[in-house]
Amino acid sequence: MSEKEVNILKRALERERASRKAAEKILEEKSAELFKVNKMLEQSYSELTSLYNKTSSQLQGVFENIVDAYVIMDLSGNILKMNDAAVEMFGFKSTQEEENLNNLVSPSDIDIVKPAFKKLITDGLITDFKINITTKHNVPKIVHINASIIEENGEPVAAQGIVRDITMEREAQEKLIESENRLSTLIKSLDTGVLLEDEHRKIVLTNNKFCEFFGIPVSPELLVGQDCSKSAEQSKDLFQDPDGFVSRINEILFNKKLVLGDELKMTNGKILERDYIPIYRSSEYQGHLWSYRDVTMQRQYSWGIEAEREKYGSIIANMHLGLVEVNNDDEILLVNQSFVEMSGYNKDELIGKKGGELLQADKSNDIITAENEKRAQGLSNSYELKVRTKSGEIRNWLISGAPNYDINGIVKGSIGIHLDITELKNLQIQKEKLLAKLEKSNEELQEYAHIVSHDLKSPLRSIDALVSWLKEDNKDNLDEASHKNLDLIQSTLEKMEQLISDVLNYSRVSTENKVDAEVDVQQLVEDVIELVYVPEHIHISILNKLPVVNGDSTKLQQVFQNLIGNAIKFNDKEKGLIEIDVLDEATHYKFSIKDNGIGIEPQFHDNIFKIFHALNKRKDSSGIGLSIVKKIIGLHGGNVWLESTPKMGTTFYFTLTK
Amino acid sequence: MKNLNILLIEDDMIEVMKLNRAKSSLQLNHTISEASNGEEALKLLEQKDNLPDIILLDLNMPKINGIEFLKILKADERLKYIPTIVLTTSNNQRDLLECYKIGIAGYVLKPLKYEDYVSKIEKLLSYWSINELITA
Repeated sequence: MSEKEVNILKRALERERASRKAAEKILEEKSAELFKVNKMLEQSYSELTSLYNKTSSQLQGVFENIVDAYVIMDLSGNILKMNDAAVEMFGFKSTQEEENLNNLVSPSDIDIVKPAFKKLITDGLITDFKINITTKHNVPKIVHINASIIEENGEPVAAQGIVRDITMEREAQEKLIESENRLSTLIKSLDTGVLLEDEHRKIVLTNNKFCEFFGIPVSPELLVGQDCSKSAEQSKDLFQDPDGFVSRINEILFNKKLVLGDELKMTNGKILERDYIPIYRSSEYQGHLWSYRDVTMQRQYSWGIEAEREKYGSIIANMHLGLVEVNNDDEILLVNQSFVEMSGYNKDELIGKKGGELLQADKSNDIITAENEKRAQGLSNSYELKVRTKSGEIRNWLISGAPNYDINGIVKGSIGIHLDITELKNLQIQKEKLLAKLEKSNEELQEYAHIVSHDLKSPLRSIDALVSWLKEDNKDNLDEASHKNLDLIQSTLEKMEQLISDVLNYSRVSTENKVDAEVDVQQLVEDVIELVYVPEHIHISILNKLPVVNGDSTKLQQVFQNLIGNAIKFNDKEKGLIEIDVLDEATHYKFSIKDNGIGIEPQFHDNIFKIFHALNKRKDSSGIGLSIVKKIIGLHGGNVWLESTPKMGTTFYFTLTK
Repeated sequence: MKNLNILLIEDDMIEVMKLNRAKSSLQLNHTISEASNGEEALKLLEQKDNLPDIILLDLNMPKINGIEFLKILKADERLKYIPTIVLTTSNNQRDLLECYKIGIAGYVLKPLKYEDYVSKIEKLLSYWSINELITA
């Protein structure tokens, strides 16, 4: 072996020694490190154990002290463990009671138990499970369960759950729902159109009536959530003033203040009243409620009343009757235009004043007080009153008053209608004056006729006396012709006196002294025939019994006397025949006096009834007789006429009303 | 037959003549005093010692007319007993009534014919001639 070789070997051994040493050192280091870790592990384990113990006891505390019922059961529902709350809820006697929870389930809910268990096992938990149970004390309850599975070695072995009694809660909820339903039904069928919008103008609630008003053809529920920001523009044409409708809505929405009773006239004739109610929650704007009411009927009704009121108002204002309403103290409350014109005072001067004091001309007359008393007793009345108008003019008013009642039927004053009857009154006074004057002048005329006839007759009498004395004193001195002439003077005087008497008689025939009584015409005519001179050759006969009529017997006697007298006078026949007859003509009697005398030419038929139209100048005829006849018949409301054939005879007819 | 003291109140001269002529033609011895109106008559009647037995009174006269005179007469304590006969042309009903109301002893209408007048006067005077009268 060479040194070289030995050296080589030596160097190799050396290297080997060094590497072993290094390895020993690393091992030593590693081992120390392991020891350290092991130490740390030991420590953390003990820490963990204590932590576990701590947690576990904490959990136990939570379990026992939990407010809600806590139950641990096996997967068949048998109770393994429960807390005091659970005991109380289920009506057990103690926490040690052995019971299967399924036994508590109400028969109606048995079917939902199985699926719930399945879900629990599959999902590992079940939440919000509600079920009806009947407790040991037989109390039905609704309970709410949250449960989870307990596993052992990855296998479900039990379940734990928290059970809450929600019976009360459910009841309250049901009540709430019920009341919500009621409310929504109410809103739905409300006669007011309702639109509730939120702060973004989205519909929260609306109802049928609203849809009806606005012609929206879908059910209100479908509108919920719709945006209303353009709806005003869309529905504006439903209204008579579309632009006004839109601008008003914008104004309201801008102001966000309560608006009540806006009136909207629709083109279909409806009138809506709109309220806007903004909704604030703790002073924050939350939206608003629109409500629309159909007030067409009310408006039309009130318009009807208004129109009626206006109609009567205008009648009252325009009638020519003054209208005044006064209270119980006669203080004027209301006057119409006519009264203002009648009185001359304006409204302000009249209202509040006492009508009587202001207007009555004769203040001493207490007629107003008396009449007001009557009205206070509920009597209507009318009376005349002299009033002094503002200008001082005295006028006559006819006042018709009626008591005015309040709604309780108590007289609160009166209403008077005033008619100015001054003109009428003046006319009446004028008429009375005229009548009096006429009466007086008639009297004067009568008097005058008497005086005239007296004054005319006196000279006639004197002449007659003088002529008589002439004749007497010169019996032998006068020749026969002179005697004859003196006789003629005397007969002329007689005729003249007759004439004067007739004129006086004619003037006496007037209504003034007409007496109305029952007149037996038969008797009357018989008397006349006795009275007048009937020559031998004249025969007078009454053909039918003459009736009893109403009239003035003296005057009717004059009629027959004249007519019979004429018939006698103007008869030239050897055997004169006069026939008096009557014909009953329903409403009146037609009398006739027929003769077979000289007759009257037709052209004179009218004239003979006129005064001083005697056809035959005779000593015993003044020509006034027939005019008196006509006048008397006229006074009795009848007619007189004649039929005649000259030389053959005449029939005078006259009528007397029954 | 007694002779009467007659007061005729008449304004018409011829009427006065008629009465006088009638008296004489009837050969009566009555005394006739005349007054042409009421005033004059009242003056005559002042002589209470020479009052007439009867008065014939015309109604239509100037100044105090017949009816007015009658009223004055009837208001007088003494004169009211003198029978007063109205002699007139007026057959006015009103006058007739008024006269009887005041108080008259007769109302005679003057007829047209003088003979009729004489006959009426004769009857009138003969009637009053046989009557007992209150004399002064």
